[in-house]
Amino acid sequence: MLILAIETTGKHASTAVIDSDGKYFCAESTNEMSHLREIIDLSDKALSNAGKSKKDLSHVAVSIGPGSFTGIRIGIATAATLGQMLNIPCVGVSSLEAMSTGISCDERYKSCELIVPMINARRHQIYAGVWQNGTKLPLKKLNEDRQYMIEEMTKLLSSEYKDKICLTGDGIDAYEEILKKEPGNYILADENIRYQSAKNIAMLAAIKVKAGEEVSYNNLTPDYMRLTEAEQRLREGTLSSRIKNL
Amino acid sequence: MKNGKFITLGIETSCDETAAAITADGRQLLSNAINSQIDIHTEFGGVVPEIASRKHLENINSTIDKALKDADVDIEDVDLIGVTYGPGLVGALIIGVAAAKSIAYACDIPLVGVNHMHGHIAAAYLEHPDLEPPFMALVVSGGHTNIVNVPAYNMCEKLGETRDDAAGEAFDKIARVIGLGYPGGPKIDRAAREGNKEAVAFKRVYLEPDSFDFSFSGLKTQALNYLNSERQSGRKINVSDIAASFQEAVVEVVADKAIAAAVKYNQNRLVMAGGVASNTRLRELIALKAAKHDIEVLKPSSILCTDNGAMIATAAYYAYMDGDRAGFDLEADPALQF
Ligand SMILES: [Zn+2]
Repeated sequence: MLILAIETTGKHASTAVIDSDGKYFCAESTNEMSHLREIIDLSDKALSNAGKSKKDLSHVAVSIGPGSFTGIRIGIATAATLGQMLNIPCVGVSSLEAMSTGISCDERYKSCELIVPMINARRHQIYAGVWQNGTKLPLKKLNEDRQYMIEEMTKLLSSEYKDKICLTGDGIDAYEEILKKEPGNYILADENIRYQSAKNIAMLAAIKVKAGEEVSYNNLTPDYMRLTEAEQRLREGTLSSRIKNL
Repeated sequence: MKNGKFITLGIETSCDETAAAITADGRQLLSNAINSQIDIHTEFGGVVPEIASRKHLENINSTIDKALKDADVDIEDVDLIGVTYGPGLVGALIIGVAAAKSIAYACDIPLVGVNHMHGHIAAAYLEHPDLEPPFMALVVSGGHTNIVNVPAYNMCEKLGETRDDAAGEAFDKIARVIGLGYPGGPKIDRAAREGNKEAVAFKRVYLEPDSFDFSFSGLKTQALNYLNSERQSGRKINVSDIAASFQEAVVEVVADKAIAAAVKYNQNRLVMAGGVASNTRLRELIALKAAKHDIEVLKPSSILCTDNGAMIATAAYYAYMDGDRAGFDLEADPALQF
């Protein structure tokens, strides 16, 4: 088994290769939002760090979102096409679940009962979910991962969950003021582990492969967690008035 | 290589068609897979970029599969990959570019980034096996109105462009206002056949003498003002007459300038390209005016006028022969110039 994992849903693109011994070989971009420019070179770099070639790959894994729409698409288009052309199966992994998994493996957050990753979705919104911390993977999901208002999430956390919570993701950076206003039993993940990373995608992908959760390249579907604005408007009936204006 | 022929895979995702095609030796068409999103966008009255991007991602891999299968070509036979990297919708372009780079990397195939507009002109090589530069080209589409001098393969000198709306865009906008809907170009074309092109005297905008540039936004304002005054005076609006008059005001200027460019640059051939090159009246008018100057007009079939992967494959072939290569750092350039 040799899995290439791609993560392009956050600011920095990253790749990781995991081998059958569970060893990781990673590569990460230092530039922001240069996913399309760098993703192939990063993939090749992770492979050469592992001393392997693309022909040795058994699977291509990718973060399917939520996160940057453009980032999701660059990652999936790349992973699906690599799977298609190398004739190997693909594995889709949730960016939020991968972030939770990363935290669960970090000694610093052992005392937290819950992990809540939150990705900034702008206008007071986040993509988030609630996972139970533990050593057994995959982690147990306690609350649906979806789009939340940040206030809705802080309310949910303070009313439903009394345990110590580790918050992670760039939602922290975006809504720090709001999080401070509603003090919960939180600790914030350190910046060196706060953001999306291909290593976590690789870790979960290895588990999914063992569980037989691999898919063909044409069944790799994104999880945007949000309709397009035009679809929302169509649904609300506010589309027609706008497009009639020249 | 297959049967001794150089095989190119062309990929195109700049707007609302997900397309891939295979050519042999640059200009022999082996397959032309096009997955059009037009029905989806019709519901919204125009191309919605975020929806286009999502659909491209859904369709890109199956479209590439179809192109290979229809051509009876294996990916191992492919010698070159060409992909549109601009101009176009950035969210749409990135899907094609990401896929093309992944194929190039996975299968060790050289890659060329293609300018979408060069692609439209290259479509003529597929349709006309004997066509060689030099010639004059007119590219008219929903996004572009250009007059281009083509002195050699892989060389395009832009002589004129629109300063505001493209011809196709003008048709889309007017079609929306008179209730014909989207896509405007074909609907105006059809409605105009029933109408009187002299019914409304829209002003022709030629800009400075000798300029090959275009401006269509004033025409749109004229049309809106006309509609308002007709409505205010309680007169019934004749959609066909307005369509015919508006179309005539657009295509007459386009035809005049294209022919003037060919004459000025001593080109005896004019290649028509782009979606609006299918417009019946534009074809008719250009044929009429070209005949007066002994200019031969070359028109690609409708399927090669709209966005497709074949034209990208052909443009890529000539670019590659000219030494062009793209690296894995190829990016989308939504505002790419000629
Ligand atoms: Zn086009």
